[in-house]
Amino acid sequence: MGYFEGFAVTLAKWGEGVTTKEYRGGRKNKKGEISVKDEKAPKPERAHGRHVLNRYEDGMEKCIGCELCAGVCPANCIYVRGKDNPVDDPKSPGERYGYVYEINYLRCIHCDLCVEACPTQAITESKLFEFSFTNRSDAIYTKDELLVGDDGMPQKMPWEDWRPGEDLKTSGWMRATSPSGKAEYLGKGWSGELGYGVRAGDLPQDEKDASVRDVDPVDDHEDHDGGHH
Amino acid sequence: MTATENTESETPEVEPGIPFILNGEEVRANEGELLISAAERHGVHIPHFCYHPRMSSVGMCRMCLVEVDSGRGPGLQPACMQPVMPDMKVNTESEPTTKAQDGVLELLLINHPLDCPVCDKGGECPLQDNAYAFGPGESRFVEEKRHYEKPISISELVYLDRERCILCDRCTRFADEVAGDPLIHFIDRGAQTQVNTFPEHEFSSYFSGNTVQICPVGALTAQPYRFAARPWDLAEVESTSMVDPTGARVALHSSQNRMVRIQGVDSDATNWGWLSDKERFIYEATDSPQRLVEPMLRDGRGEQVQTRWNTAIKNTVDALTGASDPRRIGVIGGARLTLESQYAWAKLLKGLGAVDNIDAQIGDGLPADLVMGLPKATIDSACAPGGVVVLLGADPKEELPTLYLRLRHAIQNDGVSLIEMSPRQTAFADSVAARLNPLPGAAGQIAGALADGMVGTSIGGIGSDQLTTAHALLTSDRPVTVIVGRGNLAESADVVVSAVAALKRLVPNARFLSGLRRGNIHGALEMGLTPGYLPGGQELTAKIDGWEMAPQTKGLDTAGILKAAVNGGLDTLVLLGADPLRDFPDAALAEAAFERIGTIVAVDSLMNRSTQRADVILPAAMFGEVDGTFMNLEGRVSPVNAKVTAPGQARPDWMIAAEVAQAAGGDLGFSRLEELQAEISATVPGFKGIDLATAGVAEDGPVISTARAWEPTLTETAPIPPADDYGLRLVVDRKLWDNGTMINASASLGNLVDDAVLTLSPADLDRLGGTSGEEVQMSIAGGSSQGIVAMADARIPAGAAHVPFGVKGVQAQELITAGDPVIEVRVQA
Repeated sequence: MGYFEGFAVTLAKWGEGVTTKEYRGGRKNKKGEISVKDEKAPKPERAHGRHVLNRYEDGMEKCIGCELCAGVCPANCIYVRGKDNPVDDPKSPGERYGYVYEINYLRCIHCDLCVEACPTQAITESKLFEFSFTNRSDAIYTKDELLVGDDGMPQKMPWEDWRPGEDLKTSGWMRATSPSGKAEYLGKGWSGELGYGVRAGDLPQDEKDASVRDVDPVDDHEDHDGGHH
Repeated sequence: MTATENTESETPEVEPGIPFILNGEEVRANEGELLISAAERHGVHIPHFCYHPRMSSVGMCRMCLVEVDSGRGPGLQPACMQPVMPDMKVNTESEPTTKAQDGVLELLLINHPLDCPVCDKGGECPLQDNAYAFGPGESRFVEEKRHYEKPISISELVYLDRERCILCDRCTRFADEVAGDPLIHFIDRGAQTQVNTFPEHEFSSYFSGNTVQICPVGALTAQPYRFAARPWDLAEVESTSMVDPTGARVALHSSQNRMVRIQGVDSDATNWGWLSDKERFIYEATDSPQRLVEPMLRDGRGEQVQTRWNTAIKNTVDALTGASDPRRIGVIGGARLTLESQYAWAKLLKGLGAVDNIDAQIGDGLPADLVMGLPKATIDSACAPGGVVVLLGADPKEELPTLYLRLRHAIQNDGVSLIEMSPRQTAFADSVAARLNPLPGAAGQIAGALADGMVGTSIGGIGSDQLTTAHALLTSDRPVTVIVGRGNLAESADVVVSAVAALKRLVPNARFLSGLRRGNIHGALEMGLTPGYLPGGQELTAKIDGWEMAPQTKGLDTAGILKAAVNGGLDTLVLLGADPLRDFPDAALAEAAFERIGTIVAVDSLMNRSTQRADVILPAAMFGEVDGTFMNLEGRVSPVNAKVTAPGQARPDWMIAAEVAQAAGGDLGFSRLEELQAEISATVPGFKGIDLATAGVAEDGPVISTARAWEPTLTETAPIPPADDYGLRLVVDRKLWDNGTMINASASLGNLVDDAVLTLSPADLDRLGGTSGEEVQMSIAGGSSQGIVAMADARIPAGAAHVPFGVKGVQAQELITAGDPVIEVRVQA
């Protein structure tokens, strides 16, 4: 585009009020209306978004504070510190729990290596990426914000744009590869998870990939959740 | 293999060592060398768990099985039990070897829990590493693993997780062979075998932390490090422990700019990789609540309030220049500092201010000329096979624990004979060759009798048999090393001096090893933080380049400084990391002195009893936060390195000295550590040609030997009053766990301090009608009596009464009067 053509674009758009169309994130415009076109584009099955820290069915945290996620993180955005589990009020099964867990979303590149590294499927990623902040402290998610609520679903921060049903697919099965790293691996079943119950093991990865393309995400969730097998 | 068979006949000179074939190549082993270490030297790593080069081999884990053919066909042999034999053929990579390694690892992992993510060893675990490198990859076992209660605390500092234990026998061997505290052992049989303590006896060894370091799995973990960090987020630097003068080499580990762990580094010359728990866990003090992080100043209402550096420095300069005469300034302490900081303070005080009332020994040391002037031994020479060691001082297990381990090894394994002249029996127990435990005040007399050969009759309660044995050992042609320390704080240092003089007369070739206990005390003496000497042990009349002046007359030691203060002869007292109120063995004198001193300036890192009384506090960076060098009791110089940044506004001591000099209108001549190190190398005799920036970085560090022009003045006559028939002579010495500033500030070590107990020989306690374990009344001349629990202990000589220094309960420093040759104590049941 040459020098003057740029001005031509500007002049052509002069009367429209906004120069480029923006995604308004479900917020109201100046007149108090919500755009009818305000819906998110469908995301790929394995889109990586904001993390959640999962809990077992009995409410115990899955995170054991092992710092493998922090160790593997290429962006150095995770800060974990472990501590002795209080005997009278254990936070997680076992000796150790993560008493500090922070993710700095100004640094996170959503590569999902933390999810791969996690030995307990404590950290997984939701598909939510429609979140933005106006200050640093909002961008650094603490353990209180990352942990799932009492219903097993991610907590929703005021600056995050969650739509109905989106919080259902945040759990361990969002992992990109099967647990042993081998595509033909057949999973052994999942431990009971708050909000999701007990589910059957993973399909071998090639079969799983073939199956997910045609499955509606919400239905898929209910298939598993309903069973409690 | 055939190609190498006739190499030897082609070589004209016969190479030393035993030839053998290692993976097809002919190599040579030393006489008696184990296959595993010979292979390691030639670059072939044989995996192992139980083998440790500093301990005996037991062949427990079977991980080091390799294929060996000694002429009768190949077979699997544990490389840690097999000395190299001439022409044996070894294959560490053959099919049978790898199959054996697979099998051993699969068996070890049957019962080993896979809780690596929560295990402190996970990430630096030999079992993990070997399983990855040599393991089968998959296990065929699906059965439930063996279960035990998850970690049980076997001491205040160590947790034991029996599920993870692979029964390699390292910790139990260490406790038995190296530390001499066999408090943990295998119990039960077969699949139920476990390591545990004896019932009702915890693993309360001073060396328990070493078992954590050598454990090849996460079965033993350290309580202070528990879950503090993971191995991959640790940053490491090698340094030298400044806890005691042994100078143990350590690795400092930090995570997120916080020191979280200290590990021992294997140094041939000093600690062999072992550390005492004090050296290992003392880092906890660096971020304790007592830490001084801001300069402080006493305000109009008498409160210590935070101030700015230049205000604090200005007040320090006013205090120093306000004194009408350099002799009205006193400086106590300096053993906490690095060599460089010691030089900087010595130059500031002696070279710019002509102050000579400087003493780094806080009334518990020996005359500087004695320590610096005696011909020095090294730890290696003292521990060399066949030697004789005279222990004239305190129990090294309590004061110099890593030196104790070296001496113990030499006595147990290398035929070194120990003559014990400590005021009470030490931890060497039954391995002592001759036991001459003199009553307080009598050491010179007994050494004199040895020197004169008067060993036919018993002297001062020491039997003629012991004297004869000692005399025979000292007059044999075996090399003699004397460890000279201050074994009894309730006895004048003159007694030690006279004993040294007598021993030197008897054994003119004897070499001496200092047994002083304060961190960098030998550096402090060498750098001139002692009255009467300039750096390098030079007389006050010596001229040093760049020094404007030097003190005219020899100054006072700590006792002298405090006495001068009581008499109103002191305006300013500078504390260089010293706590005389708690640490000086005459509490009444220290207290009286502190009440009369005009201004007290404390350069320290931690709040203690004396810094609480200071008018100006200059916060200093601590061990782990400063770079520099350290001098150990041999005179060996090794590096001290910073791992973390000092908190708040604390800064290295030498910088504080430089700023004080600048504010006073002077100039020390250096503003960077490199300049300071270069100046020491250029001006201090003995350091010429030594680059302090690289000394000891890749090796054990050079031993500074100054050829001194003078001999120490040794007096043999110390007038000791005759024993009074009612009293007992007081023995006061240190324990490893005391109420010292550093231990108090360490969360885990602070509660290891015991209560003071009075120990007497069983005969004395009987005579007094007391019962072991019950309270008696104790008093000194002119003092009121106080209650203390008495215990009978055969290790105390008859006629002596022992009270430990600086522990909980009765404060031994209140019983002592500085300068008294001995202290008599009355005990009533």
